[in-house]
Amino acid sequence: MTETKTSKFITISLFGALILMSLLSLGYFSSQPISRQLKGWEIFIGGIATLAIYSFLVKENPVYRFFEHLYIGIATGITVVLGFKTFLWPKFFKPLLGFSVQTFPDGSIYQPYNNYILLYLLPMCLGLLYYCILTKRYAWLAQIAIGFSLGASGGLAFKGFFNQVIPQLVDSFKSFHISFADLSSISLYPFKLPAPVFQAFSNFVFMTVLLSSFFYFFFTFKREEGGVVERFSTTGRWMMMGCFGAFFGTTIMARMSLLVERIQFFIDEWVPTVFSGVIS
Amino acid sequence: MENSGSIFDRALIALDHIDRRIIYLFVLFSLTIPLVKGIKLDPAPFETANSFFETIATFDKSKGKIALIASDWGPNTKAENQAQMEVAIEHLMREKIPFALTSLSVFSKPFLEKIPNKIANRLNEEGGPYTWKYGVDWVNIGYRPNGSIMIQSLAKSKDLKKFWIADAKSTPLKNIKMLEDVRTIKDIGLLLEFTGSVGAFDAWVEYFSVDGYKPKFLHGCTSITIPEARTYMASGQLDGLHEGLAGSAYYEKLLSNSYPDREIGQAWKMNTGLAFAQAIIICFILLGNTRIILNSISNLIGNSLKIFTTDND
Repeated sequence: MTETKTSKFITISLFGALILMSLLSLGYFSSQPISRQLKGWEIFIGGIATLAIYSFLVKENPVYRFFEHLYIGIATGITVVLGFKTFLWPKFFKPLLGFSVQTFPDGSIYQPYNNYILLYLLPMCLGLLYYCILTKRYAWLAQIAIGFSLGASGGLAFKGFFNQVIPQLVDSFKSFHISFADLSSISLYPFKLPAPVFQAFSNFVFMTVLLSSFFYFFFTFKREEGGVVERFSTTGRWMMMGCFGAFFGTTIMARMSLLVERIQFFIDEWVPTVFSGVIS
Repeated sequence: MENSGSIFDRALIALDHIDRRIIYLFVLFSLTIPLVKGIKLDPAPFETANSFFETIATFDKSKGKIALIASDWGPNTKAENQAQMEVAIEHLMREKIPFALTSLSVFSKPFLEKIPNKIANRLNEEGGPYTWKYGVDWVNIGYRPNGSIMIQSLAKSKDLKKFWIADAKSTPLKNIKMLEDVRTIKDIGLLLEFTGSVGAFDAWVEYFSVDGYKPKFLHGCTSITIPEARTYMASGQLDGLHEGLAGSAYYEKLLSNSYPDREIGQAWKMNTGLAFAQAIIICFILLGNTRIILNSISNLIGNSLKIFTTDND
C-alpha cells in the first residue's frame, strides 16, 4: 500500500513538474523570434526526454513508459521516412520520373534524362519478389530475390574478408628471435629491459594467449583430464575471461561517457535555456 | 538483531542493504561536480593517439592531396565520437590540410555541417593571419547511402567529382576550389573514420582501397569497440586510433602542447568527470568485495569456534 502511494506520489510530482516547466517555457519561448523558439523547444524537449528516461533508475513509472513508447514510435517512423527520403526518392524515383534533370545555379545541366534509367525497374521488380513470402502460393518466388542477395553479399564478403583478416593473420606470426642490433631499452618500473628482450617477451605472451585460446575451441579429439592439452585449453579459457573483463570495463566507460555528455548538455544548454524562461 | 553489535558491524550490515539509488547518486555527483567546477585532471597518455597526431602532422600537403572524413555516427554515440571528430578536425584545420566530409549514417547529417563550422569560427576568432573558409579548407559531401557498395564505387571511381556530383548544399563540386586537382582515391592521402559501429568501420577497412594503393587510415572508436579496434592497430591496418573519450582528452592535450593559445575543449573536462565516476565505481567494487571477504572470514572463524566448543563438550 505504502509502495503504491510512493509510486503515485513520484508520478504526480514528475508530471506536475513537467507541466509547470512547459507552461513557464511556453510563455518565455513565445516572446522570442521563431528560430530561437524552435531551438528553445528542441533543447527543452531533449532535456525532459532525458530526465524521463533516467527516471527509470528511481523506479519504473508511467512517465518513463510514455517516453519509451514515444521513442520507439519516433524511431520506427523516422526509419521509414528516411528510407524513402534518402534512398528510394533520390536514387530511384527521382531519376526515373525525370526530377533529377536539374540545372545548377550557374545554368549548367548536370544530369540529363537517361533512358537507360528505365532499366532500374528490373532490379526493383526483383526486389519486390521479397514480398511474395507473405503468400503461401507464391512464396517460392521470394527465393529468387533471397538467392540473388545471398550471392551478391557472399561475393562482397569474400573480397572484404581478405582485406580485413589476412593482414591480421600474417601479423599473428610473431618472432621470438632476440636481435641485439637495437640497443634501446624499455622501462618497466622498477626494471629496465632491453627493447629486443621486451619485444620477444611480448611476442611470447601474444603467442601463448593466441594458441591457448585456439586450443579451447579445439574439439576434434578427446582430451585427457589433467593432461597437457586440457591444461593449455584451461589457460585459454582464463585468457578469454580476462578479455571479457576488458570488454566489460570498456562497456562501463562507454555508458559513463553517455551519461557525462547528457550532464554536460544539462549544464551548458538545458538549465540556461529553461531557467531563462522561468526567471523571466 | 540488526541494531546490536559495534558501529563497525552495523556499518557492514548497512552496506549489505545499500539502496542502488544511493550508488547512482554518488556516480551522478562524481560526474557533475568536476564539470560544474571546471576541474581538469591530466589525461592519461595513449600511444595510439600519439600515432594519430603524428600521422596528421606529417601529412603530405602536396597540391591536390586531401583527407577524407567518414563520420559514421549519430546521436547515440555523440558523447565520444563528436569530441574525437572535433579535435581531429581542429588539427587538420590548424595544419591547413583540406578535407572532405561524408557519412554512411543519415543521422550524422547535422554534425557534418555543424562541427567544421564551429571549429572554423573558433579558429577565425583567435585572430591569426589565416581565415578558414568553406570550399577552400573543407567540403561537406553529405550523407551517401548504400554502405559498402558506395565505398567500393568511391574507391574505383576515375573521377571523384563526377562520382559525388555535388556537395550537401547541391553546389557542383567542379566549383569547389579545394577539389580542383582531386581525381581518384590516390588523391585521398588520409582517411579518418569515426564510428561506434563495427560494421561501418569494417566496411571502410574492407573496401576503401585499390590495387597497390591504400590511404593512411585513422580511426575514432567508442570505448566499447576499443578491444576490437586495437587488433587493427596491432596488425598495421590502422595508423592511429582515438580510444573513446579518454583518447580525445589526451589528443586535446597534444593539441594544447603544440598550440598553447588554443581554448581547451569539452573532451578534457568530460574525461575528468569520467575519471571521478570511475574512481567511485572502483571504490564501490572494492567495498563490496571487502565486505564479502570479511563475511567469509567471520563465518570461517565462527565455524571454527563452533567445532572447537563442540569438541570440548
